[in-house]
Amino acid sequence: MWAEIRQYLRLYPSAVLSGRDSTGRPFSLRCEPELDDAARVLRIASPRGVELVHGPASILCHSHNLFLWNLHSFLVRGTIELADGTWLFRPVRFVPGIGVGGLPGMIRFATSKRRTAKHYLDRRGLTRPKIPWAELRAIQVEANPLPNPPHKGEGI
Amino acid sequence: MLPAAAGTRYLEHVMAEVLARSVAISIPAEVEAVFQEFRTCEFTTLARDGTPITWPMLPFWRPETGQFMTTTSIGLPDKVFNIRRDPRVSLLFSDPTGSGLDNPPTVLVQGRAAAPDKVNTSIGAYEKEVKLVYRRQPSGAMWSSNPLLRWYFDWYFMRLEITITPTRILWWDRGDLSASPRVVEGADVG
Repeated sequence: MWAEIRQYLRLYPSAVLSGRDSTGRPFSLRCEPELDDAARVLRIASPRGVELVHGPASILCHSHNLFLWNLHSFLVRGTIELADGTWLFRPVRFVPGIGVGGLPGMIRFATSKRRTAKHYLDRRGLTRPKIPWAELRAIQVEANPLPNPPHKGEGI
Repeated sequence: MLPAAAGTRYLEHVMAEVLARSVAISIPAEVEAVFQEFRTCEFTTLARDGTPITWPMLPFWRPETGQFMTTTSIGLPDKVFNIRRDPRVSLLFSDPTGSGLDNPPTVLVQGRAAAPDKVNTSIGAYEKEVKLVYRRQPSGAMWSSNPLLRWYFDWYFMRLEITITPTRILWWDRGDLSASPRVVEGADVG
């Protein structure tokens, strides 16, 4: 897990740390975690006005381009504690998101989510609903009339 | 006369509407611009063991009610399961990429979410939002571009709606976290 954190964290200029405030509500802030290889923790400076308390936490890294594409993300679950004015994040589990692991990772991601969707429907006794593809295509064309030429096999 | 449970639900609904409007009145224009223009936010729900779990989401601000609407696929239902168990959530607006805003504030919204168990595939109810997504993310049309991808990714278009009512909003001018945030509190914070 530490190797994955080292590999992927360096690809992002910043991350989002989420913990809980003193009332138990989620509280997030953008930060620049520093790897401490010896202790296998992430060190995070604590700015003013931050209301985090010790306990379970997570770190998210994600990115997209100007056109909301080239999506990449991953999450690390763990815990935080304050030590000498710095938050120590102790990782527990690396959770890959979209764009991690190349094409095989994408296939694994989509196959797993397709299975999860089937399970969701099965547990409720629902049949797999039909998607109104033609209607969706019309909206896509209306939103972007030039960049998206019609696709073959439309309307099934 | 309404049954007691229905009456309670009605009162909760009215209270949520009143609170939403009071929050909507209080937020400044630069914060509302962030809600309108940011492409993503970092959306946090609480897992069963209490861990705050955060993933990027596409939020839709509805100024007429002072609430956010978003959706998730039934292939990614964990955040909805979390909300049904514990409605406390947060939305952090900290990545202005693509928004066109110059030095926007960083905004944290804490609130309560509702996620009914209804699978939506209809475009009609979300036409405005779907159009906005394809305008901002033109390559997203790829997932429905041929029969194979339509079969493989149909789960992505089976959506569960999430409505978030803010109870507290904090923002840091120009994203400067070294300064103390400004805060707007809702009526039922806590």
